Amino acid sequence: MADNTFDAIVVGSGISGGWAAKELCEKGLTVLLLERGGPYEHIKDYKTATKEIWELPHRGSTTDEQKKKYPVIHRGWAAQEQVMDAWANEEDCPYTEVKPFTWWRSYRFGGRSILWGRQSYRWSPMDFGANERDGIAIPWPVNYEEIAPWYDHVEKFAGISGSKQGLAHLPDGQFLPAFELNIVEKDVAARIKEKYKGDRHLFIGRVANITIPHNERPGCQYRSRCWEGCPFGGYFSTQSSTYPAAMKTGKLTVRPYSIAHRVLYDKDKKKATGVEVMDTENNQTYTFKSKIVFLCASSLNSAWILMNSATDVWPDGLGSSSGELGHNVMDHHYNIGAEGEIEGYEDKYYFGKRPTGFYIPRFANIGSDKRDFLRGYGYQGSASRSGWNREIAELNIGKDFKDQLCEPGEWRIGATGFGETLPNHENRIYLDKTKKDKWGLPVLAMDAELKENEIKMRKDIVADLIAMFEAAGVKNVRPWETYYSIGQGIHEMGTARMGSDPKTSVLNKWNQVWDAPNVFVTDGAFMTSSACQNPSLTYMAFTARAADYAVKNL
Amino acid sequence: MDRRELIKMIALATGTAFVGGEFFLSGCKNPEAGTSMEFTQDDIAFLDEVGETILPKTNTPGAKDAKIGEFMRTMVNDCYTASDQKAFHTGIAKLNDECNKMHSTSFMKATPEQRKSLLVKLDSEAKEYAGKRPAFDAEQIKREKEEHEKGNSGFQREKWTAHYFSMMKQLTISGYFTSEEGRKGALRYTPVPGKIDADLPYKKGDRAFAGLD
Repeated sequence: MADNTFDAIVVGSGISGGWAAKELCEKGLTVLLLERGGPYEHIKDYKTATKEIWELPHRGSTTDEQKKKYPVIHRGWAAQEQVMDAWANEEDCPYTEVKPFTWWRSYRFGGRSILWGRQSYRWSPMDFGANERDGIAIPWPVNYEEIAPWYDHVEKFAGISGSKQGLAHLPDGQFLPAFELNIVEKDVAARIKEKYKGDRHLFIGRVANITIPHNERPGCQYRSRCWEGCPFGGYFSTQSSTYPAAMKTGKLTVRPYSIAHRVLYDKDKKKATGVEVMDTENNQTYTFKSKIVFLCASSLNSAWILMNSATDVWPDGLGSSSGELGHNVMDHHYNIGAEGEIEGYEDKYYFGKRPTGFYIPRFANIGSDKRDFLRGYGYQGSASRSGWNREIAELNIGKDFKDQLCEPGEWRIGATGFGETLPNHENRIYLDKTKKDKWGLPVLAMDAELKENEIKMRKDIVADLIAMFEAAGVKNVRPWETYYSIGQGIHEMGTARMGSDPKTSVLNKWNQVWDAPNVFVTDGAFMTSSACQNPSLTYMAFTARAADYAVKNL
Repeated sequence: MDRRELIKMIALATGTAFVGGEFFLSGCKNPEAGTSMEFTQDDIAFLDEVGETILPKTNTPGAKDAKIGEFMRTMVNDCYTASDQKAFHTGIAKLNDECNKMHSTSFMKATPEQRKSLLVKLDSEAKEYAGKRPAFDAEQIKREKEEHEKGNSGFQREKWTAHYFSMMKQLTISGYFTSEEGRKGALRYTPVPGKIDADLPYKKGDRAFAGLD
């Protein structure tokens, strides 16, 4: 076998790419895993993870220079001193905002698997049936029963902690012991249950943090500093989980600093033969050959690779024959919620930092609940006592002020909604051929926005949360909303959707590109609708399923 | 607590948005030069005393123990925009002038009581000033919209500059409670909790856990 030939090439080392590499290697294939960024080694490279806040020059703040260099990352809460090395260099890797679009990229081994929020929820039969039922876009070609065993498979390996709730619209999974709601959250949960007669639920978030040792990983130490990288392997990441499993097979080769920018396509055989890579260190291009290619470069970048591929056959790229490549961009719209104070628990506190809050699953448009929009939303939040960064009325300066700040303050509770975004052909990304990145490659243009359904939904997200908090005895409930543009939910998806008809979809039900069946796209690009649950667990399940199918059909 | 919440809570504590923490959506313009942007050793000593007046040494360390003056220098130099830096530097002189007006003595020569009464006054002045921000921002946004509609797409609205005392107070609080002295000396310090207790009894006077902030 030549040095540049493998059984499979996986593009991208994030959550989906790590899973593809692991599954393919374990099934005996030689795999080349391409990562456009540099190496980032488990534990050794988690430079701030064991540092104290006072050891950081700016105690967690970013500098004015960083604000200028990373304007996109500074639109939200992601700009923190500890993680600035994680984000893609915005000067080297520009993109065009036809409409405001916030793209959070981590070009480094492990990708966003290091940084992710770890919330892990199954989709339900309701979610897979939604497009067909509502006559929106195209139906999903896969139903819940087909994907359920793959949810089992990935949950068992990744380690998802959670509690069984027996909800048809948010199926239970293979859970490790759950984290615990604190005393206030428990009481709020009970009051919501009573008030809404069991139709609304608040329970601890299902999260890819392990509460007991799992697969040689010691587990969560309750520091809640996950995104700095966990020296205890407390949560699922490529580094802690899929990469070591793939390495164990002896079949994996990793090539960092490698931008896969083109799938090589043989138009006679109607198949891919490999990929072309730009080496970001020496600006040379290299060709690698394989029997199958898995694109897991992130939803937008996988579409970008397809747009650059087989343009001699299809000017708009491989998979564009349907007219849907790059279209139907979705996200979860958020940065909107409410908060307030809760009295009567002044003699209660808690110890340890939980790496998750509570979850309130969707209730809108379920059963007798009918709205003037389609679909729905869930909420994530927590209750806690306020800290030193709170207002103390009447005390502003001096000893008493300081003494007060050293004690925990009042109990507060807050949550943010995560709303489903409908697939809309008008919401799209495409190549901006007038602009190039540092390596002379064309960049993406983003032209997507919230439409009427989402805008209507946002009103109810706030109104429902206020009503639930007030019903639960929360005082001084205040709505809040901060800047949101598509992409800011970090759940961008849908740019190469799957379907049953090659005329209206880019991929078939096995994540294969209709026009090149040995190319599989298993990151968020394949999503036909967005539901409102955090999507990574679903990407894991579809990736494992596609890998299984690919190997069986080699 | 995530970053968004942290910024918001500091904003609450000081009645103004966290300086340097605002969304950076467009390029900033350099303000006119004039004020020296260098911190002298005298400035550091001055800021140590301002910080110490806000969070004094008691049976736990004070802001001076946490080298608050040096912390302010680092943060202002590295994290503030040029216009905020200017407001901060001008503020050092203004604070001293205010002390002369109120107590007929410089801040460094003032007694702890004089310093405290001055800063209480400046604190209420700063809060009142911060109360004007929403109207200011609304006016600027409206103006920007009008200019853009007129075709003046390069028009950028004027940015609000916080009161210098708000800056000093914010930096004192955040600097102290993120310092080793503050976290180990004034809070309960548990870097690796290793477990969770979701229902812990609490009595008035018990200190907060560092890290639950």
